[in-house]
Amino acid sequence: MFKDLDPILHSQLRLAVVSLLISVEEAEFTYLRDKTNATAGNLSVQLNKLKDAGYIDIKKQFKDNYPQTLCKMTAAGIDAFEQYVKALQSYLQAGQNGTDS
Amino acid sequence: MADKTLSEQESLALITNMIQKARNSFNENGNGAMLWGAVVGLCGLLSAAKGFLKIDLPFDPWLLTLLAFIPQFIITYKEGKSNMVRSHSDKAIDAVWMVYGISVFALVAYFNIIGPQSERLLQDYGYEVFRKEIGTDGYEPMRLFPLSPISLLILLFAIPTLITGITRSFRPMIVGGILCYLFFVISLFTNTNYDNLLAGISAIINWLIPGLIMRKKYKEHRRTHV
Repeated sequence: MFKDLDPILHSQLRLAVVSLLISVEEAEFTYLRDKTNATAGNLSVQLNKLKDAGYIDIKKQFKDNYPQTLCKMTAAGIDAFEQYVKALQSYLQAGQNGTDS
Repeated sequence: MADKTLSEQESLALITNMIQKARNSFNENGNGAMLWGAVVGLCGLLSAAKGFLKIDLPFDPWLLTLLAFIPQFIITYKEGKSNMVRSHSDKAIDAVWMVYGISVFALVAYFNIIGPQSERLLQDYGYEVFRKEIGTDGYEPMRLFPLSPISLLILLFAIPTLITGITRSFRPMIVGGILCYLFFVISLFTNTNYDNLLAGISAIINWLIPGLIMRKKYKEHRRTHV
């Protein structure tokens, strides 16, 4: 029986963001925008969806008089990502077995 | 990047690609390592020269290390401003160097306190230490002092350097850290002048040379990942 892929993570931009954040302690909004090549507006919407799901923490602060947005994975987010990767592996493995037989 | 739904293969490729991009975020420009390598190296070599050549300096060359804190604060401030991302290893390595800094101060306090304090404790037990020059009959009170203090500093240099080298898989710092342990052992058999020389060489091998290599890699990375 296949597990359903988490719909929050199973979208291009949100998965890209989570994959970046899982690799680092925390990252600025501009870093995520640069690495994903997303528009600021779209990225902002997707970050809020991840935040609402409890997968990331967003901290807004001022740094040298400029607003700074810092994003960080939560424990729930790390857990969801691990489950997502496991589910993905089971799909791919099933596909592989199907091809082999 | 749009917000489209992916196939399983595309998801996996995206995850791999993003993790790779995060790993390529090269923050370390080597400025701190170069600064401390140059300053501590200079202090060690100056102290050794002072001892070997009997140069009269009006100050202890090791006090120059205090001056390095000013540029270090500027470097920390500027890097804090420019770094957009902080990796898990950055956090761990920063903690190691902070603990190292505290330990250096603690060790310097030990060097200055342990001698007089030991004399006081011995006096409480009713003892006093005297020294006798070989070939003479006279005894005179002896001031106690920590033995081979620079050896302990060299030993301390090795710890954060080796941890950083292993964590970052950065061979120059691994080699530097291992050589530091070797210099520590050698310094147990040498006098203070050679100890100072070994401390200076340790700083150059541990920090100045790796810092210069880091700087070069950082510049190359900036050129290819603009």
